[in-house]
Amino acid sequence: MKARTELLVSAATVVLLAAAPAISPLVHLDVSIVSEVLVTAIAVMSVNLLLGYTGLPAFGNAAYFGLGTYGAALSVKYAHVHFIEAIVIGTVAALLGGLILAPFLLRRRGIYFGLLSIAFGQVFYFIAYRYTDVTGGEDGMQFPRPDAVLGGAHQTISELGFYYVALALFVLVVIAFRSVVRSPFGRTLVAIRQNEARVRYLGLNTDRFIFVALLISATMAGLSGALFGLLINFAYPLQLDWHQSGYFVLSMILGGAGTVWGSLVGAFIYVIGKDIISTITPLWQIFLGALFVACVLGFPRGILGSIAALRARAPDTFTDDDVNAAFDPNAPVEVGRGA
Amino acid sequence: MAPDAILLEARNITKVFGGVRAVDDVSLQVREGTIHALIGPNGAGKTTFFNAISGFMFPERGRVTFRGTDVTRTMNWKRIAMGMGRTFQTPSVFPELTVDDNVRLGVRAHAGQAFRLFTPTGDAKATVDRRVDELLGFVNLTAQRDRPLSELAHGSQRLCEIAMSLSTDPVLVLLDEPMAGLAEAETDRIMGVIRDLRVRLGLTVLFVEHNMRVVLSLADRITVLDRGKLLAEGTPAEIAANEAVRSAYLGEGVLEHV
Amino acid sequence: MIEHIGPQLFNGLVLGAFYAIVAIGLSLIMNLTGTINMAHGSFMTLAGYLAFTLVSRGTPFWFALIAAPLILVVVGVVVERTLVRPLYKREPFYSLLMTFGLSLMAEEIYRLIWGPNGVPFSPPKALAGAAHLGFMSFPTFRIFIAVVLVVAIAALALFLTRTRFGLRLRAAVQDTEMIAALGTNTQVIYAVNFGLGIFLAGIAGVLAAGMLGLSPTSGNALLMPAFVTVIIGGMGSLFGSVVGGVLIGMAISLTTLFIPAASEVSMYVLMAVVLLVRPRGLFGEEGIFG
Repeated sequence: MKARTELLVSAATVVLLAAAPAISPLVHLDVSIVSEVLVTAIAVMSVNLLLGYTGLPAFGNAAYFGLGTYGAALSVKYAHVHFIEAIVIGTVAALLGGLILAPFLLRRRGIYFGLLSIAFGQVFYFIAYRYTDVTGGEDGMQFPRPDAVLGGAHQTISELGFYYVALALFVLVVIAFRSVVRSPFGRTLVAIRQNEARVRYLGLNTDRFIFVALLISATMAGLSGALFGLLINFAYPLQLDWHQSGYFVLSMILGGAGTVWGSLVGAFIYVIGKDIISTITPLWQIFLGALFVACVLGFPRGILGSIAALRARAPDTFTDDDVNAAFDPNAPVEVGRGA
Repeated sequence: MAPDAILLEARNITKVFGGVRAVDDVSLQVREGTIHALIGPNGAGKTTFFNAISGFMFPERGRVTFRGTDVTRTMNWKRIAMGMGRTFQTPSVFPELTVDDNVRLGVRAHAGQAFRLFTPTGDAKATVDRRVDELLGFVNLTAQRDRPLSELAHGSQRLCEIAMSLSTDPVLVLLDEPMAGLAEAETDRIMGVIRDLRVRLGLTVLFVEHNMRVVLSLADRITVLDRGKLLAEGTPAEIAANEAVRSAYLGEGVLEHV
Repeated sequence: MIEHIGPQLFNGLVLGAFYAIVAIGLSLIMNLTGTINMAHGSFMTLAGYLAFTLVSRGTPFWFALIAAPLILVVVGVVVERTLVRPLYKREPFYSLLMTFGLSLMAEEIYRLIWGPNGVPFSPPKALAGAAHLGFMSFPTFRIFIAVVLVVAIAALALFLTRTRFGLRLRAAVQDTEMIAALGTNTQVIYAVNFGLGIFLAGIAGVLAAGMLGLSPTSGNALLMPAFVTVIIGGMGSLFGSVVGGVLIGMAISLTTLFIPAASEVSMYVLMAVVLLVRPRGLFGEEGIFG
């Protein structure tokens, strides 16, 4: 995308999102569903950083997402913290979870990374599931949405208010994310995906890059999870389950790997689709499963990626489109790491 | 360091794959400022030996010393920081990135900028830009700098890979079959670049090669491997006259025209 | 408390044998094709339901124990040929997503056919009692399960080490580039390998349905411990899967006895410790998957 086109598209998207609460009643959508789209998009971006940009099959991000939710939920329920503090605590909880798991995950690549991230991701699920006295176990735990306190003034957060908080945070995350993936660090991540051996033979310890990418990803997923918990005022173990990780990956593929706005598109299709189909039929899961199958067979480059491929122009510089084009499904994943 | 000081030394390297000794007790010394060739028939263990030296894998036995330091079990990325550069048999590049970005990644890595979360501007950027220009000029790829590598001919990809391996300011460059799969004209172009590595940049080169014309015209010293073992070592004239080398290569026809 | 340790260790062995046989099936498929089969649990569930249907129509349990896994193999090979095989040449997470999607659909289909709640599926009367060994007694069905699983694993080991086809399969599993060199029909290798993994899942599925219950998602309960088993034992090592399975089975049943809330967490602690000491698992070698 040319810089000016991108700026126009981005501005239009933000304006559209700002006006969404006015539009959504016309199509019988609750504003909280649109909030859920934004919140989910942040989690999808967290998967995108690892899978879409770095090429690591991140199938455990629900762990950080759920840690965000439980961090916020437990701190509101037991410590009665306020709105902003709850978001911060949830996000930090996920970052800490990432710090614990990253040393185990970053030593392996490819399918083994996927296996480790699924297995390790599940540990928090079992803790939430079993530690019934505190977490409510399988039934989950309800908690009220706390007021925001700024300079001593209490402010209750309505559904509309929540939407704009989510939108502001979403825009901030998009700007930060875009800056990171275009920075030398982000380009090195893309280089790791394309050819990790070469990156190491440029004298870079790729493990360090992957470590930081994992922490950034965990933090983003945690922020998303904290917001999600505060949106639905509920925390339950399935948020930590590998199924949830799979939904994030699906949304990422739907929107297009390695694109900044693809995550929003993917989250939109997933959240709105689930909402619409589940009101029509109880067999929602069959459609979701079919969506996985269709997505894998039909358009592995995602919606945005497929559109970009249709335009079929020669890539000029290192843009997001190129990153997406570089998402070569046939590329070898494993590299020589020097024993 | 003295002009003919030993830059790299491999002693009694042994690497086993599934019970087979791919490299068996091979030793080699590379002196500073030389162009040293590693040759041998197919399956002689040249690339395996190369991998052991460059840290792509670690040997079961033996010792690798680089600039006086034992690097036998040093991670490959650390060896780069110590002044080693390497290319691979199949050009190891970032195929979807442009020539410029391929080289820039290495220059940034060496400048300590790879970890920045924000794009550098001002002086930091200017320094990198200058170095990228210089390297692209050295391998004569300036005109193609904005094209993705996958669109370039094999020989140009190899040149770009050489520029990438130079981006980290090495003192020793390891080239694994730099002429593999190239046409005659491209071979000459790369030969020129390899000569320039020593003449213009003052680097030491160790390269694996199949093409005897290239080896005999470029190398100061030649080490010959055969079936994992050291067969001979010497000057091009000595190697060309060596009976054992001639018989090892018999049937491959590579020495016929020498 | 102490008097429970003996029976609980035996329970751990039975659980471990389950984990091992499921892990071996996962491992075979994963190593040859790079596919993490997320539908493995759903295949196990299906085997349970097939056996349930057969038994409720008057078929003897013994027959269902063999027939259900065989029917499952047919389903599995059809799925492999039509949906999974086209993905082998792409990055491995595509086949992971595919099998994940299939498992979601399968669960819903089981709900439609057999109802959303569990169905009662109990072992035959002959296996219902308990066997007394003087100092303690075990449920006969669990002893039966242990015997069947051990025989199945031993038979698999013999097949892989003693038959011509088994040796080729093992060579291919250990080094995928070998397949081409062997000149064996790769299509057949893929199908037999997948079928074998599914057959093991089928046996585990029928037995687990009798011991742990049968519901649309019941098979998934064995999936996560099986992943952990593969990691602890080392990818690609069948022996490692057996050792890993037994270790986890023991760890889970002993923690269940002393700290019930930590029963699942114990296997993660075990996994973390093993990975710290041996990053490739207990018997994992430097393989194609790094």
